[in-house]
Amino acid sequence: MQNKIRIKYEFINKTLFFPDYGILAVGDLHIGYDHMIKQSGILIPERQVKDIISDLKEVFRKIKNSKTGKRIKKVVFLGDIKHAFSFEAEEKYEFIEVMNFLKLEVPEPQENIIFIKGNHDTMDFTYGKMKNYHIEPESGIAFTHGHKSFPEIFGRKVNVIVSGHLHPSIILAEKPGVKKETYKCFLEGSYKGKTFIVIPSFVGYYEGTPVNDYREDYLESFFILPKKEMLNFKIHVIGKDKVYDFGKIKDL
Amino acid sequence: MTKIIRAEQSTEEEIKKILHPLVTEWFFSKFSEFSLPQKYGVVPIWKRKNILISAETGGTKTLTAFLSILNHLIILAEKQELKNKVYAVYTSPLKALSNDIHKNLIEPLHEIEELAAKKGIKLQKIRIALRTGDTTTYERTKMLKNPPHILITTPESLAIVLTSKNFVDNMKEVEFCIVDEIHSMDNKRGAYLSLTLERLNEVSSVWPVKIGLSATIEPMDEVAKFLTGVSDDREVESAKVDLNKKIDIQVLSPVKNIIEDEGLHSKMYVLISRLISEHKTTLIFTNTRSGTERVVSYLKERFPTEYGDDNIAAHHSSLSKEHRFDIEEKLRQGKLKVVVCSTSLELGIDIGYIDLVLMLGSPKSSSRALQRMGRAGHQLHNIAKGRFIVLDRDDLVECCVIQKEMMEKRINKVRFPRRCLDVLAQQVFGMAIYKVWKEDELFRLIRKSYCYSDLTRGDFLDIISYLSGEYSLEKNNIYGKIWYDKETKEIGKRGKLARVLYLTNIGTIPEESFIRVKITGTEEPVGMIDETFLSRMKKGDVFVLGGKKYLYRYTRGMNLYVSSEVARNPTIPSWFSEMLPLSFDSALEINQFRALMKKKLKSDKSKEETLKFIGSYLYVNKETAEAIYNYFLEQHSFLEIPDENTIIIEKFTDPDQEKKYLIFHTLYGRRVNDALSRAIGYIIGALGSRDIEVGVSDNGFYLSGENMMIKRALENLKEKNIEKILKEAIDRTDVLARRFRHCATRALMILRSYKGQRKTVGKQQMKSHFLLAAVKRISNEFPILREARREIFEDLMDIENAGLVLRWIEQGKVKIKVIETPLPSPFSLNLIIQGHSDLIRIEDKQEFLRRMHQLHIRNIIQRVPAE
Repeated sequence: MQNKIRIKYEFINKTLFFPDYGILAVGDLHIGYDHMIKQSGILIPERQVKDIISDLKEVFRKIKNSKTGKRIKKVVFLGDIKHAFSFEAEEKYEFIEVMNFLKLEVPEPQENIIFIKGNHDTMDFTYGKMKNYHIEPESGIAFTHGHKSFPEIFGRKVNVIVSGHLHPSIILAEKPGVKKETYKCFLEGSYKGKTFIVIPSFVGYYEGTPVNDYREDYLESFFILPKKEMLNFKIHVIGKDKVYDFGKIKDL
Repeated sequence: MTKIIRAEQSTEEEIKKILHPLVTEWFFSKFSEFSLPQKYGVVPIWKRKNILISAETGGTKTLTAFLSILNHLIILAEKQELKNKVYAVYTSPLKALSNDIHKNLIEPLHEIEELAAKKGIKLQKIRIALRTGDTTTYERTKMLKNPPHILITTPESLAIVLTSKNFVDNMKEVEFCIVDEIHSMDNKRGAYLSLTLERLNEVSSVWPVKIGLSATIEPMDEVAKFLTGVSDDREVESAKVDLNKKIDIQVLSPVKNIIEDEGLHSKMYVLISRLISEHKTTLIFTNTRSGTERVVSYLKERFPTEYGDDNIAAHHSSLSKEHRFDIEEKLRQGKLKVVVCSTSLELGIDIGYIDLVLMLGSPKSSSRALQRMGRAGHQLHNIAKGRFIVLDRDDLVECCVIQKEMMEKRINKVRFPRRCLDVLAQQVFGMAIYKVWKEDELFRLIRKSYCYSDLTRGDFLDIISYLSGEYSLEKNNIYGKIWYDKETKEIGKRGKLARVLYLTNIGTIPEESFIRVKITGTEEPVGMIDETFLSRMKKGDVFVLGGKKYLYRYTRGMNLYVSSEVARNPTIPSWFSEMLPLSFDSALEINQFRALMKKKLKSDKSKEETLKFIGSYLYVNKETAEAIYNYFLEQHSFLEIPDENTIIIEKFTDPDQEKKYLIFHTLYGRRVNDALSRAIGYIIGALGSRDIEVGVSDNGFYLSGENMMIKRALENLKEKNIEKILKEAIDRTDVLARRFRHCATRALMILRSYKGQRKTVGKQQMKSHFLLAAVKRISNEFPILREARREIFEDLMDIENAGLVLRWIEQGKVKIKVIETPLPSPFSLNLIIQGHSDLIRIEDKQEFLRRMHQLHIRNIIQRVPAE
């Protein structure tokens, strides 16, 4: 897929890849989510980090094996890297575990792993590397979490804006009252002349917040896009080996 | 095996001989003679024999149990030999037992003490104390210093007492143990209690004599074994006391012709109101919470001068405790004219004078009906008066057959759940807190409980593995609650917090949470719905709540926002999960009646003759007999009457919806049909590789879908493989997720109270599916997951009797006939309307995505020309 100024991008599982620039954007991780479930009295065995690493491995494998021969040069995490609003030691250890894995996969990790600050990132585990937004000067791709707006991301040189935060998902239902399933999805549209893409969360435990309810229940203060614009966004559902276009949110 | 002996009556002289003169004098100052339960019970209890006493409500059972115990304590008190320890434990599942205890224990004791004082006999003080979940710490400390001689408690609090390090010393010579309301223990609470009783036996150096009290119950022998446990050195007397209580029961229909009269609904209320006005206090059972609300509001609206907040009230389990107590109190004081309840007033506490019991819709079993009738004329010699009010023709037949069973004193069998692994986990944890056990010692103790007498060592060791954290295989050993030394074969508690964790999470009754329904915009609350009901709906669906239609708009948190202006018909069937299932015994009874009717209609018997037969067989008047006759005649002329020897399967296509239906006339009750329908549906779905819609009711079930290969499916389903098929069929269902959450809570994988905080059910509910997913990844045979399946198969469904039906089919005792019909037959109408539908999932999530996408594309293509 590409936009009018011809920046190519591909949906790879739950992530977004810009093959020409080798940039991989990863949605909200929410490390420590399972820990929080445990705190609420549901004793689940913690395996979120294991899942994050194996899901990332799968993405890397897909890119490596693709015929285009494109490689990952940079990884951008779109914020909400941690889950709890307070400091939890477990989250920090788990974050380090993920980074130890990534260091082996990304060339010059110090420069090439970018961290965006999300509303859950009340602590910075990256020793000051977190930022509110990141703009790639060469391509004009801007990355931000999406809970707060920054004038720079709408700057003249920016062509594409990528965000997380919304955890978009879609409910598909058939036979009233009987069958329904939820899928993670990407949202794609344009806003202020820029291509705008919202990436689903990377959390394996749940699919996300359904966009089906946006017409009735969309909190404008929660995200940087107004509802009117949001309803014109297109939904892409990622199937096992195909991307499915489900039209615009307003037509659901 | 435990030996069972029929109890025999003692004479008045024999009883008097064992009673202390004070007790005898007191007794005859209050009563003129010993009641029948007392003639059966008092002497054996005195002789330290275990005994189960079953009698209709209103028989003086509670006093029977306490009489010998009080007698024993008075004798000791006079000799100044009363020790500082618990002599007797009384346990009842009802929290609101104070009234009963007051009347049957505290009052008699006071009166005997007064009598003694008058005569100048010096008695030591006999202490009685109540210990439930509501008992304060202060009261508990007081109890510790001065232990009660008689401890009144609930099954849960008894388990806590047995785990409490300090108090347990007072429990080491318990001589008597009363188990009240045994008939209501045919659930996991019963399994829990049966293990608790074994723990009491183990702690006590003398045998605590078991006294079981029950309403009329069958099978007596099994219940007696439940009471005493299973062991060669145990014996129990069983006393089935027939008080010969007269009942006055009748089946009423609001209209002459149920099928044609359109004013059925409004005429029903006229009938109800007339009956209420003819009696002093009426109690109405509606079976469901929503039905209760509906009846109350309709009566108030329709007859505003007769019914208002001061004389009519609703009573059901979703109402607050205070509200319910308030209503019960008003009832006792005779302030209410009518109380409408779901099933909540069926059991227990004395609710005062009621002279009429109305049952709207079938009570689904004769024992339940008798239990309800027992609420009227609670005094020993009053005649209980009850009326069934029927709303459709299946209901009519069902109520008449249940009435027959009641008249002929045949009641349904209870069944206690067996080998519940979640309950076992909780109890083993409790036992490990109490002391260090040898593996064999623990296993032997558990197997003495009736509910665990056939527990395998494999299952037992699985629970030990789970509790000792062997399963989780993760870095954080979250399930490690006990330690198990494989060398020494010893088991003990782990961690300092074990006791606190156990005490704050004990219990077997699952907590449910409800979603609040509010009007969009105004936030006006309209009611509550079950969380699982919500999970079946999507935006735009129309559903019924409290008799009104609402349109699903969106959800936020634990709120569902709806709009009330809807013209469309409901797209979601009303929720039937709270509906009671028809008992298997009553179902067979109806099937037998169907067979008799079929024979009559096939023969050249005259209508008059057949009407006479119906009248005498079902004890009904001519009008009712005629209604039943017409219903059967219609089915007979249209198709054929399905009965105990014939299962009819109707093949039918709904031309409006192009929907294909298979309608199975299997009148075996919803629990059996749930199992059969899911198994057959799953096989058909798998053969045609498509999802199948199923609707289940007491009288049968239907399947709907494409490409249904019924013949091959029937060939594939056998008694021996039904469990295997069902295991696959329920794997992705809501019901498994929900039951697993309950089991996980009982097995302490989900903690209601953790790290000093109580967790809200709602939030836990939303998150619990993570646990199911995680557990499935550890092992598909994880013991608590296995338990969730067992609960579904054996407690929710009835896989045992479903297997029995399949065996009858295999043996040729029951024949199957598949018949194509242009219209659904008369017998299948209710089945299609009432059967609550569910889906058997065959299709994979990815396939579903692909298909929905195709549908989406098709919609776009269709939309284009219009634009």
